[in-house]
Amino acid sequence: MISRVVLGVCLAVLMVITGVSTYLYIGTRQSKLAAAPIKPTAAQPTPRAFQLPGKLFVVQNGAIYSLSYGRYRQLTPEAGWMQPSLMPNGNLLAIRRAGFSSDIWILNQFGRPLAQLTNNQAPRRSYDTGDNHWAFYPRSSADGGTVFFSYDQPKGGYEVDLSVWSMPVNGGVARGTDWSYSEGYTGGDFQPIPVPGGIIYTKYLRDFDGSIHSQIWFQGRPAPNDLYAGHALTTSAEDCREPAPMPGGGWIAMICTYGKQISYLEIAQFSGPAIGPRQIVISDQMVAQPTWAPDGSGIAYLAPAIGDQPFQLWFLPRNAYFHPVPSPSPTPSPIPGGPVTAVSPSPIPSPTPPPVVNPLQMSTSLAFDATSTMAWAP
Amino acid sequence: MLGFKPGRRARASRRRLNPIRTLVLAALAVALAASSGGFAYFLPAVKTAYDAINNPIVIPSPSELPTLFSPEPSPSPTPQQQGAFTVLLLGSDDDSKFQSEHVLTQSMILVRVIPSTKQVIMVSIPRDLWVPLSVGGYYKIDGAYSYGGAGAAIATVQNNFHVHVNYYVWIGLLGLVRVINAIGGIDVVTSNPVLDDYYPLDVFTSSPYGYARIAVMAGPQHLDGVQALQYVRSRHNDLQSDFGRSRRQQQVLIAIRQKAKELSPADIPALAQAIGGEIKTNISISQVASLLPLASSFDNPDAITQIILASPYTRGGAPNGSLYGNWGLILPLVHQYFP
Repeated sequence: MISRVVLGVCLAVLMVITGVSTYLYIGTRQSKLAAAPIKPTAAQPTPRAFQLPGKLFVVQNGAIYSLSYGRYRQLTPEAGWMQPSLMPNGNLLAIRRAGFSSDIWILNQFGRPLAQLTNNQAPRRSYDTGDNHWAFYPRSSADGGTVFFSYDQPKGGYEVDLSVWSMPVNGGVARGTDWSYSEGYTGGDFQPIPVPGGIIYTKYLRDFDGSIHSQIWFQGRPAPNDLYAGHALTTSAEDCREPAPMPGGGWIAMICTYGKQISYLEIAQFSGPAIGPRQIVISDQMVAQPTWAPDGSGIAYLAPAIGDQPFQLWFLPRNAYFHPVPSPSPTPSPIPGGPVTAVSPSPIPSPTPPPVVNPLQMSTSLAFDATSTMAWAP
Repeated sequence: MLGFKPGRRARASRRRLNPIRTLVLAALAVALAASSGGFAYFLPAVKTAYDAINNPIVIPSPSELPTLFSPEPSPSPTPQQQGAFTVLLLGSDDDSKFQSEHVLTQSMILVRVIPSTKQVIMVSIPRDLWVPLSVGGYYKIDGAYSYGGAGAAIATVQNNFHVHVNYYVWIGLLGLVRVINAIGGIDVVTSNPVLDDYYPLDVFTSSPYGYARIAVMAGPQHLDGVQALQYVRSRHNDLQSDFGRSRRQQQVLIAIRQKAKELSPADIPALAQAIGGEIKTNISISQVASLLPLASSFDNPDAITQIILASPYTRGGAPNGSLYGNWGLILPLVHQYFP
């Protein structure tokens, strides 16, 4: 027999527990969209990450990390570091962006700054923000003596369009060469890469309707006064950017958006001045920054994962896009001694379609910088 | 006899309780407590919704408006358009250089949502369009909000474009930053690098007349609120100026819609708290909750139609550097999609 007082107390406790539990339960139903990304060094390595060969350099929140043997190592502090690329001697070229300017640095493979190649910050006495300069996407020549990069010279008034420049590693911008003439009010020419016979880069051009598209462009020599020097490797309708030649040559990977809010990972045979038909290898993700594995085993890229932090590391194995050529089907041989015409040929089995190879997600809960190139050392 | 004689209340407390009544009572208590817990969870959202719509406006139907043109009779919604609605999105540079109640709407986008066919149509209205305002006189269309608030902006759009607006959403600079941050940023394919040496440094600063230097890279990427604002607001390095900016605003809207697909109703209070008075709308909180599942059903990027009213729909030469509208072209185009 329960007294009413006891019952009342029990109900009150039950109500408090139910109310608080309901509040907390609804809270657990929140999406994780606004959760802060974790640092790669705090992440549990995925088993797949151990499969990646060599050392991959990636960028998160202004810091460069290396990934090798499944472990991330932070190479620089979170201080505007981005866009790493390899030099032939194993060092890294990278950008450090600070406030209104950015500079090219050489780092060793452990992230220690060795040299600052540009000095783009405006003098202290300057009050004009336009006195600062941007340098982005540095790439070394094959001999390591020249750096190619995007640079905002010349500029005038409100117009800020980057051109492709080169400079001796030991010479500075003062001894640099302006390679390209960018179209005004488009953003300009980005991501130069030295290739046999010249350079390729992403050129932004305006269409008749005023919209801006990008094309992969080849140029064999410096031409600072000719907008159309060299030639386009891709069409304006394809809207391609972020070229990545395969180490050793022969193929190129790139991102094409066809003027929409989508991006395709495409590959094509490539010789420098010429490119072959495009093959779409990823079409259902917002793909960025394709990077070939140094041993040719696949392509790493950045793309969002559903319900996760944006732009995780993915890897597309080689057999997803280089299908083995099926062996030719044996032709039916006539039965010895029999009437050839009387034999109805048995149906030839159709070749087995190549197995579908899906990309592998190599990270979770990380948010890599999708505008920053990745570098991959053997 | 000395002693204590139990009172009526004490006797009653010893009375045996009916088990069924006790169970019913307990069930009611649990239901009441669960509702209270839920109410407490969504209270911030309710408060924000109240703040956002505490100045409700009456949206006049087009037939009540003074007719300035001779409109074609607007087609009645086809059966496929049942449930469709039109939203006028208004965006203002509401930094401290301006009085908060008298800001221009630099961004005006008409959005038609057709749930049955899963189509979205966006028309960016040039802010410099020279039109008669609903409050009287001719001015750039971005001045309507400044002179008469959301009601005047809606009426001006309805008058000139001969469409009916069901809802409006006004958002300021901080509001856009906070909305995008509250949903964890957006993933967007920026069409080209956006570089600006003289970008207004008027948000998160005590000196709103300064300049910043910005560089938003091109291609697929993740933008936080500040970066997204830089992308949609910069216009110095865009030859199309306001039209180029309109294209970028539509890209960001599509990216926000894409991200909204992953939101759950449980996110609404945090979202409301983050926005905190930076948004004004006449959409109720219950309607917002019902729109979230709707956002997730729009999967096909080809079902989103983006319209920019550049030449030949508009031409320069109007007073104060504004634009004349070629209404003979604009109205048929708009009426293809908007009743």
